[in-house]
Order: sequence, then C-alpha cells, then structure tokens
Amino acid sequence: MIKTAQDIKSYKEKLKEALEDKFLRKALDTFNTVYRENRPTVYQGIDFEGIKEEIAAGKDAALSRLTELFEEFKTKAEAAGAKVHVAKDAHEANEIIAAIAKENNVKKIIKSKSMTAEETFLNNHLEKKGFIVTETDLGEWIIQLRHEGPSHMVMPAIHLSRYQVGDLFEGVTQQKLDPENIDKLVKVARQVLRPAYLEADMGISGANFAIAESGALGLVTNEGNMRLVTTLPRVHVALVGYDKLIPDLKSMFKILKVLPRNATGQAITSYVTWIKGATECGSSPTDRKEMHIVFLDNGRLDLAKDPVFSEALRCIRCGACANVCPIYSKVGGHKYGHVYIGAIGLILTLFYHGKENDRAIVRNCINCQACSSVCPVDIDLPYLIKKTYRAVLDQEGKTPAKNFLLSKVMKNRRLFHFILRRAYLAQKPFAGKEPMIRHLPLFFEKEHGYRSLPLIAKIPFRDQWRQLRTEVVHPKYTIALFCGCAIDFIYPEQGKALLDILKGHDIRVEFPMDQTCCGLPALMASEEETAKEVAIQNLKAMDSVNCDYILTLCASCGSHLKHNYLKMFKDDPDAPANLKAFTDKIVDFSSFLTNVLRVSSEEYEKTGEKVAYHSPCHLCRGLGVTDEPRKLIEIAGYEYVPSKDEDVCCGFGGSYSVDFPEISSEILKKKLDNVEKTDARILVTDCPGCVLQIRGGMDKRCGKIQVKHIAEIISEVKK
Amino acid sequence: MQNPDLIKRMQEKAEAVQAIVSKIIRLKDAFQYTVDVTKKQGGQTVVAAGLEAEDQALLKKQCETANLTLLDFPLRPQADKIHTALTPVDWGIAETGTLVLDSTSEDIRIATMLAETHVAVLPASKIKPDSMSLENELNAALKRDAPIYYAFITGASRTADIERVLAVGVHGPKELHILIMEENNA
Repeated sequence: MIKTAQDIKSYKEKLKEALEDKFLRKALDTFNTVYRENRPTVYQGIDFEGIKEEIAAGKDAALSRLTELFEEFKTKAEAAGAKVHVAKDAHEANEIIAAIAKENNVKKIIKSKSMTAEETFLNNHLEKKGFIVTETDLGEWIIQLRHEGPSHMVMPAIHLSRYQVGDLFEGVTQQKLDPENIDKLVKVARQVLRPAYLEADMGISGANFAIAESGALGLVTNEGNMRLVTTLPRVHVALVGYDKLIPDLKSMFKILKVLPRNATGQAITSYVTWIKGATECGSSPTDRKEMHIVFLDNGRLDLAKDPVFSEALRCIRCGACANVCPIYSKVGGHKYGHVYIGAIGLILTLFYHGKENDRAIVRNCINCQACSSVCPVDIDLPYLIKKTYRAVLDQEGKTPAKNFLLSKVMKNRRLFHFILRRAYLAQKPFAGKEPMIRHLPLFFEKEHGYRSLPLIAKIPFRDQWRQLRTEVVHPKYTIALFCGCAIDFIYPEQGKALLDILKGHDIRVEFPMDQTCCGLPALMASEEETAKEVAIQNLKAMDSVNCDYILTLCASCGSHLKHNYLKMFKDDPDAPANLKAFTDKIVDFSSFLTNVLRVSSEEYEKTGEKVAYHSPCHLCRGLGVTDEPRKLIEIAGYEYVPSKDEDVCCGFGGSYSVDFPEISSEILKKKLDNVEKTDARILVTDCPGCVLQIRGGMDKRCGKIQVKHIAEIISEVKK
Repeated sequence: MQNPDLIKRMQEKAEAVQAIVSKIIRLKDAFQYTVDVTKKQGGQTVVAAGLEAEDQALLKKQCETANLTLLDFPLRPQADKIHTALTPVDWGIAETGTLVLDSTSEDIRIATMLAETHVAVLPASKIKPDSMSLENELNAALKRDAPIYYAFITGASRTADIERVLAVGVHGPKELHILIMEENNA
C-alpha cells in the first residue's frame, strides 16, 4: 500500500532513507544523465518546440469541450457494441467495474498497465470483493508481488535491482534463478503469466486516447501484454480518465510523435493499438466481446474549467518530468509523488488524492524548470506546483509563520532593507577574518553546514551608488540596472564589475532607488499576492527613468521579471498598462554584452586562463540564453572549458536550500564533483544565487576552484 | 508503386528495432521461409492468418513435407501451441519501420500475439512514408459503425522494466521477421 508522508517531519525521515539507498541513487542518477544525453538524438529532425505548442493548443481546445467530446465518443462506441459508463469518483469507478465482473460471473481478472487504475486503487477494491487480479505488465507485476505502488509512471519498478527481482521471482517459481541474466528474468514473466491470460474471464486496461470522432480507444504499449489482456478474456473493461478524450485521429498522431520519444526514447512503441466496440471473441457465449468503457471524472471535469490548473490535464503521462528532475533522481518516485510521480504528481495529488497526501511532497520543488523544458504538452510545472501549494494552504486555512513574515516584510521595501542592513551586524560574531561564515550558529541544524555562507555587505550597492555613478553626456543607450537583493546586499562588487565593464561604451546607467526584491521568493513561497505587489513597486521604480534596457546580473530576477510578471497579471483587469513594455526591456548581462554592445576581444587582455561555466537554471531555461555567456568567456580572452551537466541545477533554489538542505547539498556535491574533474581554476556563472551556493560548497570542501560572477572575470581583464 | 528509398528506409528502421528483414519475390517464398525459420528454432507448429484458401493449402503441404503442423482455425483452442505465425500485413510505415495490420479477426490477433515468432509479408507497394499518410485509410476503417481492432507493430515485443535493460520478447512474439515482397517489375 502507498503511504505518503503527511507532514514535513515524517517526510524528511523518508527522504533520509531514500538518500541512503545506494542502488536507487546510482540507478536514477545514471538514468537522469542517459535520458538527457540521448534526447537530442531521439528528437533529431523534429521541431519539439513547435509540436509541443501545437499539442498543447489542441489539448486545451479538447479540455474546453470534454462533455461534448464524450457524447460524440459514446455514440460512436456504442454503435459498435461497447457499453460506456461514467464514474464521478474513484469509488464509483471501482464499484462499476466490480459490478461488471459480478454480472459476467468473472473469477479471474488480468490487467495491463493503467495509471488511472492506480489512481482509484482498483486492484485493492476488486481483491476485497474476492476477485483474483493479476497484473501483466512486467514492472506492474513486480510491484504487485511486492505490494508496492509504482515509483515511475512508465517504469513502475525502476527502484528495484535485478537482485531484488531475482529473489522475488525465485519465490514465484520455486527455482534458482541467475539475477545477472535479465533476459531470463523477463522470460519468467512470459512463462508464468501465459496461463493467466488464457484462464482469465476479464481483462482490464487503461487507454492513452479516447478518439471522439470514431469511438475508438488508442493504446501505446511495448510488451504485448495489453494486446493479450484485451483479446483473450471474454470481458474487456477499459478505465479511462476524461482527460484522454481527443477529437480525432490527427490529434493522436501528433501526440504519438512525442509520447514514446519522451517516455522511453523510442520513435514509436512496439505496439500502437486501436480498439473499438465488441470485437470477435471465441470465449464469449455470444462470440462477441463484452466491452465496457468506464470514464473517470474524479475531479477532472471541474479541473478542466479551472483557469489555472486545467493545464495539468494536458498531461499525457510520459514520465519525463521525473526523468530530468534533479530531486527525483536523488530520492526516487516513492518519495516524489503519491500515485502520480514527478512534477506532475506533486500537482495532481492534491486533486485526486487530497491535501493530506500532497502537503509535504508539494514543497519539494527547487524550481529549476528542467521538467517544464522537456514537457511535451508545455505545462508550466514549477509554476503550477507553487500554485498547488497555495491551494493546499488555502484548503487548510493556514498561513505558515514564515509566509506571514515574508509577506509583511517584503511588501514594505524600507522595512525589508532595514532588516538586511541589520543582518550585517547580527552576523559579525560568527564570521572569521574571511568574508565567509564557515561555522553556523548553533540554532541551525547540522544539515545546513554543507556550505559556507557569505557575509552581508558592510555597505550595500545602493548606498554606494552616488559615488559610483558617472555622467554620460551623449549615451548610446540608457540602461536601468535591476540589481536584485543578492548583489545589492551581499555582492555589491558584482554590480561594480558591471559599471567598470561599461566604462567607455557611452552607456548611461541608472539605478532607480525604489527598486526592491524582484518578488520571486514570495512566489516560491506561494505568496503570489505579495509577489504582485512587489512587482508593481518595481514597475513604478523602473518607470521613473527613461531607459532602453533593464539589465539584470541575476538570472533568477531576470526570468522572474520577464516571464512571471506577465504570468501573474494574466487576465488581471488591474494589470499595469506598461507591463509588456517593461518585460520587453529585460536583458541579462551576457546577452547585453554580446548582442547589444557587441564587445570585442580587443577590449580585453587575453590571459588564456581556463574557465568552467555553470549555466543557471533561470538563464538557460528561464531566459533561453545558452550561447552568449560561453561566447563572452572566449571573447574576453579566457579559455572556456566544458564540464559535465553544466545546465543542471546547483541545488540553490533560494529558500529551497534552507528548507531541504539534505537534498540541496547532494545536488551541489555533484555539481562540484563535475567541475573539479576539469582543469579549470575558475568557475563562472550569471547568477549571484548560484555563486552563493557553489562558492559556499567549494569553500566548505576546501576546493581550489574560484567561483565568480561572469561580470567579475570580464572586468578583471578589461584593458 | 515501389519506391526504392522507402523500401530502404523501411528496412533500416525495422532493423533498428531488432526486426529481421528479408526480401522476397513471391508469396510462396514466404512459405519456405516460414518453414525454415520454424525448423531452425525447433518449433513444431505454424499458423497462417489472412491467406487465400489455395495459398493456405500450399503452405499446409509444405509444412507436412517438413514434418510441421499447420494449425487449423479457430486458433483459440490451440492458443498455447503456436510457434510461428505467418501473416500478410496491410501497410508498412517507412519512417518508423512499422507494420500496419487490421487485426479485427480474432485468429489474426491470436496468431500475432501468442506466436513465438511472427513472420510478416509486406508488399513493397504498400510502404508509406509516415503514419500521417495513412490517416485517411485508418480513419475510414475506424469510423465505420463496426467493431475494429487495429494494430501498428514495430519490432518484437520488448521491455526495459528491470534496471532499464532492454529485453526483447516479453509477452508478445520474441522475434519479428519482415519479408518485403518486391513484385516483379519486368
């Protein structure tokens, strides 16, 4: 039985267990890497971005008329002899299926893989009623024998080793088996399950598609078990979520281009099957299959009408959001979902399995956007996860003290900045002579000690601005610097590096004093109202100067300003009129230098020093900037040295690293290991948050690589 | 029409998913092939679904000569005895090396799902570039107010459920042989 932690304390204990599972760690880490490395080959010749937009639009159109599509499907399916049922919730679906079994005098049931049946805990229900249920998908059969839930939506037994499967199958066959021979283990399933198909009275399947225009179900499979399940027994029941309804075959073909590629890296699965109506069946007294289709609502019809969450119903269950997730790859699916696994699981759990099962897991997202970048139906998963957490809090009628304080402080810039200045004094006793805190005060738990922490600057950037600013009489461009809290209050030197680089380029730089935190931390804490208030303050501040660009040195601020501001005010009648003009002006440091200023190598002293690069999540995925920083390193006369997984998260994620230090530190460790495998002595990145995390980790392990903001190394070699 | 590029692509893509592809000239070549493959694998039975009566009789004779049994219809009572299944298929899709087979007949389903080895005969003229180019044909079949069971088959059955290691031949056929029949152009 699935037991998901219902509070953060027991969740943390479970996470600890998972982090100690060596096999799981290795298996999932390898999977994560291999999956990402193979992806470009798998998608060769296919315009992924284009097709995903098309599919998303098609899904949205279908979701807006589900009941209509259902009626069309039902008419066509029934005309071919199928019986179509509707279940308003999981219990009703299970009852309908049990009743069909009873009416048809069924004793033995075989099943092919269905996440929807997992959702309703169908097997438990049928077994309680006395039916014998056998799963036939290899992975599902394994976890059924182990009385577990799936740990991945496509590969349900990915958490198990060949030795565990070998032991299990030895128990089933009462024979000695060689666990190294996986082919042989697979054949055990073939042999043992063959008679089960032939003896079964009823087969249960799911479906990937319910095609309205024809009344046919579409199923996408590899093992061949689903074909047997739907052919041999005299009764077939398909359990289908309403979200599987699509208008036509063309829509299915489109999805078929991405589903197998995203799920298993195949151009197409071994079998794609269309089933419609009561087909010929020799074991039925009527010579026709007793064919039933049960449509499951379980909240889907309401969800489809939700302006924000309907997006989640686009999901085609490819499982890719788990495959690329740095957290999933550390803790596995049993700790990263309830029934539905991965990023989409953190969202759907609230709607299908209630707030109790979601309240702990939903907090475990670092917002690195790896999932949304591979999602074939363009679901903004990290954003919806934060929205889901908000919905959990609202349902529980609770505001955590942390959220209350954060909102209160953040809405008031003066108070917020006052606290940051005070922090400089508070930290003094813990710092040594170095600008780092290496030993945390005692009120921190030891899990937090994986990185040294920077000191709050003695004089924030904003207080130095008067001295720093220079007059430019005939500027080529005017830029407004959006500094972000980290540079303003921790790393003013990164801001100063920028000013130094711009000297001689006829750029006027403005620093609007009323700018405040970008608001991302508020959004990450699911305090969207606060984030919106802060956004309006920033819009006003930036509007006070007439600028061509708004430049950020922080990738997280940049992508939040550019994308989330629009998102938060979408459909809001009070959205500021100048919002679009504001977001259009946002530019990151590297893009500004390479694309706007078009800096040349003559401006820099060539050193040829080897420099590694960390690509911040919010730069490469958030802002879609990948080439510019690497080019800039070379233009400035350094040698860019590639390292493994440059675009994988460093584990920072703002408050995530404080909330989940045990996971943050593991993600960081891998980042540091990869960088240390190169012969670079410097690592640069475009985000002060990543600098904080990576520099802190490097310092703690007494590593030799210097970690800097890219602006710093550019200014160092400026002639 | 036979397009050599399509045939080549079909073959490459099918082989990429472990199908065994050969070329034949006449349907009769497929009979000998089926007999040989069955003998080689130590099988004793053959089924053929979707053949004309006279071809069925010819195959039966060839099986008998080779000491193999060609199972009669209906196949259900002998479902656990099938070694090799020989079937013509309706279409091929070059883009993915896929076979398209209307499997509405229960005998075709039992043959192609339960056999250890599936030998499929694909006329070269029936190879289409991609699935979209079959949309009209498939749609016409699906939209009729009649039951239907339609299949795309690409390679043998497979799984990676244990440690993500690819294993071919799980619940469906362990081997898929495709015989591309290039009609005589002369």
